[in-house]
Amino acid sequence: MGKDIRMGIRDGFPIFLGYFTTALAFGLLTRTSGFTFVQGVLVSITNFAGSGQFLMMNLYNAGSLLLGIALSVFFINSRYIFMAASLATRLADPRSVLGRLMVGFGTTDEVFAVASLKGHKVSYAYMAGLIFTSYAGWVGGTAAGYIAGSFLPEVIQKASVITIYAMFASLLGGEASRLMKVLLVALVSAALNSIFILGIGISTGVSFLASLLIATVAGAFIYTDEEAGIE
Amino acid sequence: MNKPIIIMILVCSAVTLLPRIIPYFASSYLSRLPRFIRKCMMLLPVASLGALIFPLALTDFGTEWYAGLAGVAAAFASSWLRAPMIVSIIIALAVTSGVIALV
Repeated sequence: MGKDIRMGIRDGFPIFLGYFTTALAFGLLTRTSGFTFVQGVLVSITNFAGSGQFLMMNLYNAGSLLLGIALSVFFINSRYIFMAASLATRLADPRSVLGRLMVGFGTTDEVFAVASLKGHKVSYAYMAGLIFTSYAGWVGGTAAGYIAGSFLPEVIQKASVITIYAMFASLLGGEASRLMKVLLVALVSAALNSIFILGIGISTGVSFLASLLIATVAGAFIYTDEEAGIE
Repeated sequence: MNKPIIIMILVCSAVTLLPRIIPYFASSYLSRLPRFIRKCMMLLPVASLGALIFPLALTDFGTEWYAGLAGVAAAFASSWLRAPMIVSIIIALAVTSGVIALV
């Protein structure tokens, strides 16, 4: 139990770093959008979602109606339905109600990727360590960004954007060194998402969901059942 | 405190958290899904990685997109060579800052 929590905290540390630096930018954005400190931090406490929160702020600043904001945020978050359904099959004990609420609350892109690529079923103690370390980075970064974001040197502010992507690239490298087919599936989703967003101009949320689903089905044909890990 | 802002925050919280939480309470249904669908669920994490990186890792940097590409490449290569994730991230940060500062 204690060992699992520590393992979760250790795996969560890279996410902490990535979230903290990304949330700095978010905290600063809430301040420049006219939110109070409490409101800015409350967004991160109650949402815990990078892309959804940035989208909400953009639409708020553009003067969108609440219904439009809610629908857009729901749409960009609809990928979580699939991620949560996928991660649900990898929980060591799927019964605990409190445990499922906690894991559901914390199913972000990064927590999902790290936990589901662990290679074995994960306990709630592990997930608690992983999620709360990540959450601390997200909420703490938002608060720090609101207070001090504008004081960060410009190069650091710009470069810190890479942290999250470096984490995904690192997960990809680790997976690829075990099985090269990973790269083929990743290439499909990366190419589709790039074509949809840059070529056709589809909105990020819709494009991501479509790319994810198409690449997943393609992957199901590329992988054998054994490689995919189903018995 | 401004009421519409609080309402907007809470509405967004609901449409974020419900899609994440509800599937965990449908697991008895999930295990009865066809074999192919279950296989897809296992592959979703791997399939998500490509689209989570591209094209946003480039477009987030605007005209300095190559700084993003360099960072992603550095993180990928170092983890391929079995570097721990935190080391990969630090290398990527150094490479991206270096490229932005020098170019």
